[in-house]
Amino acid sequence: MRWAAPLIAAAAAVLCLAAAAPQPFDWRLPEGIAPPPVPADNPMSAAKVELGRRLFYDADLSVNGTMSCATCHEQRHAFTDTNQTRPGVHGDPGRRNIQALAGVGYYRTITWADPRAASLEQQMLIPILGLKPVEMGMAGQEAELARRLANDVCYRQMFAQAFPETGGQIDMVAVGKALAAFQRTLLAFDTPYDRGPAALPAAAQYGEALFRSARLNCSSCHAGPHFTDADRPGAYHRLPGAPAADPGLAEVTGRPEDQSRFRTPGLRNVAETGPYLHDGSARTLEAAIQAHYAANDPAAPTKAETADLVEFLKALTDKGFLADPRFALPQTACGRPL
Amino acid sequence: MRLTVLLAVAALAAPAAALAQEAAPAACPATPAALPAGLEAWASPAPLAAATTAADAGKASLKIGQAFDAALPGTPAVTYALRPEKPGGSVSYGGIFAVDVTKPATYTIALSTGAWIDVVRDGKTLQSTAHGRGPACTTLRKMVAFPLEPGRYLIQIAANGEPKIGIMVAERP
Repeated sequence: MRWAAPLIAAAAAVLCLAAAAPQPFDWRLPEGIAPPPVPADNPMSAAKVELGRRLFYDADLSVNGTMSCATCHEQRHAFTDTNQTRPGVHGDPGRRNIQALAGVGYYRTITWADPRAASLEQQMLIPILGLKPVEMGMAGQEAELARRLANDVCYRQMFAQAFPETGGQIDMVAVGKALAAFQRTLLAFDTPYDRGPAALPAAAQYGEALFRSARLNCSSCHAGPHFTDADRPGAYHRLPGAPAADPGLAEVTGRPEDQSRFRTPGLRNVAETGPYLHDGSARTLEAAIQAHYAANDPAAPTKAETADLVEFLKALTDKGFLADPRFALPQTACGRPL
Repeated sequence: MRLTVLLAVAALAAPAAALAQEAAPAACPATPAALPAGLEAWASPAPLAAATTAADAGKASLKIGQAFDAALPGTPAVTYALRPEKPGGSVSYGGIFAVDVTKPATYTIALSTGAWIDVVRDGKTLQSTAHGRGPACTTLRKMVAFPLEPGRYLIQIAANGEPKIGIMVAERP
């Protein structure tokens, strides 16, 4: 397996956490892949994941019932969308490109440029309650959200099953935990790349060699089994050829050296997740690759090399993930059609 | 995790630094922007009430080339022929319309909001072939194109934020 060695440490951490879990969770992972780390106060369970999946697709998480998590994170686009940015419920312009979610449970840097959102449980508050920009518009409406959910007898059952330790209390904490649990199951390890070099066409093999070459060294940041260093804290980078108008990490830290630094997106399913870069300004993979280099940089890949790199990136697509019914809009809940 | 910690993190979305990349609302010209070709009638809507069931959709028929200012019921009152791909929440609004197509062509369905559109025929949802936004400084917010053959179609509107919507079906020039 290509990815077994780098995950030993993660596996050890998960084993420690698993000891606290009431029941082992079936991650349905390929051999050699460790599951994502799980917070000790939010152990995985099938009931919690089922609840999180329903919440993920529920537009009642927005102030006027028009936007769910899935409004922007569309499964067929590897849980992003095809827009450069997306406006919120009141029409506020989006600031940054929607990020894909495959493997997000492994990441330590979850948003484009804010290290304070250190867990999926915390991150979900940004779209739901955030103000700059307003996305789902629920700031100050936390009690209203709980009221909406509690008004549904099936939701009451689902929260009770997912959170027996609180008696099924419905609040933002439980919503965040359930959403996080569902997102940790979004794993995409069935790609041509994962099947080994023999499964790759020649152009993709050339592309992989370039990707890992000392000259291009894409793999220094797009590292490991998820092709990102976002599983390490503090990994933010500035691309020489990318737009620099957004302050990026400097907005949070105030440090000039953090100007326009952003996290490294993972590359699994990247061929399905355009447009690219933090502002969605790169419409194609070729343009995204070019943004990694300053103009006239002699180290930049040639047109033919770029084409091979793109073929390699296409080999990172898990087509089953894009249509896996476990991740799709649920059609039933509590045994009844929704 | 304590709620207070979570709420503190929510404040991340309102960073203190005055560096946020926020687009200032662009001033609109005194003369309204031109509407796309084929949608000139957008500015003269007729009133209409959306249906709550497919059986009643004929009472909410959209004439091609005519804009409508449609009233929408609350989502819980609507029984869709097919579950929308992006269902609205319990506090949202939606409804069902019918449209009769006599000429095979690609048609634009234009909305005044970003509501979800499903076009349904024979128990199946049709795939759109293009989508886009209306011109800035107009009330036309969303345009989605569907190639349609002659026949009756249901147009399902879901996840609208208010109990009214501007809607128009027009043949693409």
